[in-house]
Amino acid sequence: MGFANTKHPVSAKLIENQQYLKEHLGIGLSFDVGFREIIILKKKVQLYYVTGLCDSIVFQEILKVLIQINDFESNVKKIPEIIHNRLVHQQVTEVQSMDEVVDQLLSGLIIVFIDGEKYAYVVDVRSYPGRTPQEPDTEKVIRGSRDGYTENIIQNTALTRRRLRDERLRLEMMKIGERSKTDVCISYLQDIADDGLVELIKEKLGSIEIDGITMTDKTIEEYFIENKWNNYPLVRYTERPDVAASHLLEGHVIVIVDTSPSVMILPVTFFHHLQHAEEYRQAPIVGTFIRFIRFMAVLASLYLMPFWLLLVIDPSLLPKQLSFIGPNEVGNIPIFVQIIVAGLGVEFLRMAAIHTPTPLSTSMGLIAAVLIGQIAIDVGFLSSEVILYTSVSAIGSYVTPSYELSIANKLVSFALVIVVGVFGITGFIIGVVAHLLYLIHLKSIKVPYMWPFIPFNGKAILHVIFRIPVPYTNTRPSFVHPKNVYRQPIKKS
Amino acid sequence: MVENKHVEKNQQKESLLPSTILTGFVGGLFWSLVGVIISYFNFTELSPRTFILRPWLRLEWTEGWLGNVLSIGIIGLLSIIVALIYFVLCKKIYSMWMGVIFGIILWGIVFYLLQPVFTNVPRLTELTPNTILSTISLFILYGTFIGYTISYNYHDSERQLHH
Repeated sequence: MGFANTKHPVSAKLIENQQYLKEHLGIGLSFDVGFREIIILKKKVQLYYVTGLCDSIVFQEILKVLIQINDFESNVKKIPEIIHNRLVHQQVTEVQSMDEVVDQLLSGLIIVFIDGEKYAYVVDVRSYPGRTPQEPDTEKVIRGSRDGYTENIIQNTALTRRRLRDERLRLEMMKIGERSKTDVCISYLQDIADDGLVELIKEKLGSIEIDGITMTDKTIEEYFIENKWNNYPLVRYTERPDVAASHLLEGHVIVIVDTSPSVMILPVTFFHHLQHAEEYRQAPIVGTFIRFIRFMAVLASLYLMPFWLLLVIDPSLLPKQLSFIGPNEVGNIPIFVQIIVAGLGVEFLRMAAIHTPTPLSTSMGLIAAVLIGQIAIDVGFLSSEVILYTSVSAIGSYVTPSYELSIANKLVSFALVIVVGVFGITGFIIGVVAHLLYLIHLKSIKVPYMWPFIPFNGKAILHVIFRIPVPYTNTRPSFVHPKNVYRQPIKKS
Repeated sequence: MVENKHVEKNQQKESLLPSTILTGFVGGLFWSLVGVIISYFNFTELSPRTFILRPWLRLEWTEGWLGNVLSIGIIGLLSIIVALIYFVLCKKIYSMWMGVIFGIILWGIVFYLLQPVFTNVPRLTELTPNTILSTISLFILYGTFIGYTISYNYHDSERQLHH
């Protein structure tokens, strides 16, 4: 990367520029970088482009108009001005250094060199291969918008801007990755988001020096969090522009990375991972009901297996009314081992389901549910209650809206099962307390992870437990330190 | 959009007292409810009502759910005092571990120093290991709840002042 630091100016001699690009980009070797030389009023003009990244219809139109200069103009002294005028596109800029030329060229812009001029024109005719916005698979709603972010950062910022036509919405671009030069966009509402937060995020992004971030936002997340081995998601991903926009309004900062269909919401707490757009598309009371059910499911995915195992190991813990709990037939294998085996089986299925092509996955589900489950019971390998509780806890983890959170919880659940199996009730108590203290000590960009539960915030916890009607939601959450607290004037009635 | 008057009020510093009282009250309610649940599952032989009602009330209803509800309410009120004590003593220490230590100290006070007050709570040496472990854990979580909340709120309001 030696040449990255030394600024190489655009030369007035076309041949020198051509030589530079040939050396650095391997024109002639790499097939996708090409150039076209035309002559305008007896002056050589070279246009460089990258096939596949620029819109070739627009490129042809520009070429046509440039060549027509020969037919309509005759003032040889003003060729650069004429060319600038005739570059029929809204985004034309002038660059002076060859490094910038290379950067822009590889982003898909066309570069126009004019013989005898110490600068080049850059025309933004980028058109990246990609899909059109679709409903994201991971965040479906019954009602609500069906557009989702795509792999194209320009489309993504446009989807956000369409929802927030606010003059104070800021979309700041920067490049990360010495080689990949990936576009990263920090977006926030200037008069709401905390300056310190925005500065901190920019600083952290700016300090990343890596060759490439092909795994996009996930890689960036790993630079943000302090404890790199932590299993809990400290940022929230969303593929829904409406979710991103509503977080912007609350004072969060959104980081959009090119080539990723998900955007990153910062900072977030544990409870942000338990929210879903669906409950905001339903009546508040229905939304509240959905949330209660979801909390129960998430708790089940976390604690059901270890707690049931504890009750099986130590039936004296059961109150009289619940004494029926526990396996009717103990089976040949200790329950502890059975739970581990069944849990691993569910994990096998989950991973297989990710890789299996859709036509095969139906038959895979059949094999899993009917054959493995039933036969495992019949041959006396697993007791039927283990299957029941494992299934409930597995479904609980699928109910978790955030995939990252559900896996993190699953890890903890496994660990708790193991400590309960080994140490019994002591293991359970210490395990649960250690887990809770661990969650409490986590921080997402200086925000305590378990806020508003611990540290407690009365108003905010109500918003977590209940889906409060929007007309009563007057203030923004305090943990993002919004510069403007009020979302709407409080009506005195 | 019309600028509303509330915008200017943002900068005002809120008093921390109401939030401290609320924290104490809710903390008392929530963690004593957890206490009732873990005593239902026999993690501990003691339940909140063993402390609050049984020493001076031997009536039959104190054994039922009413006894539990009443004890939870009373602990909620007592907990306000605990929160105020924390607010006075260690609000400036911005760390959750201070809350953990506070919980352990509180447990020591309740189970060792105040044990003679609660006549039907056995002495420390007579408690089962499970009871000791689960009550210490409960107090640790309670202490963290109170301590971390108060110091976070204090830290937050200081931060706002300096802006």
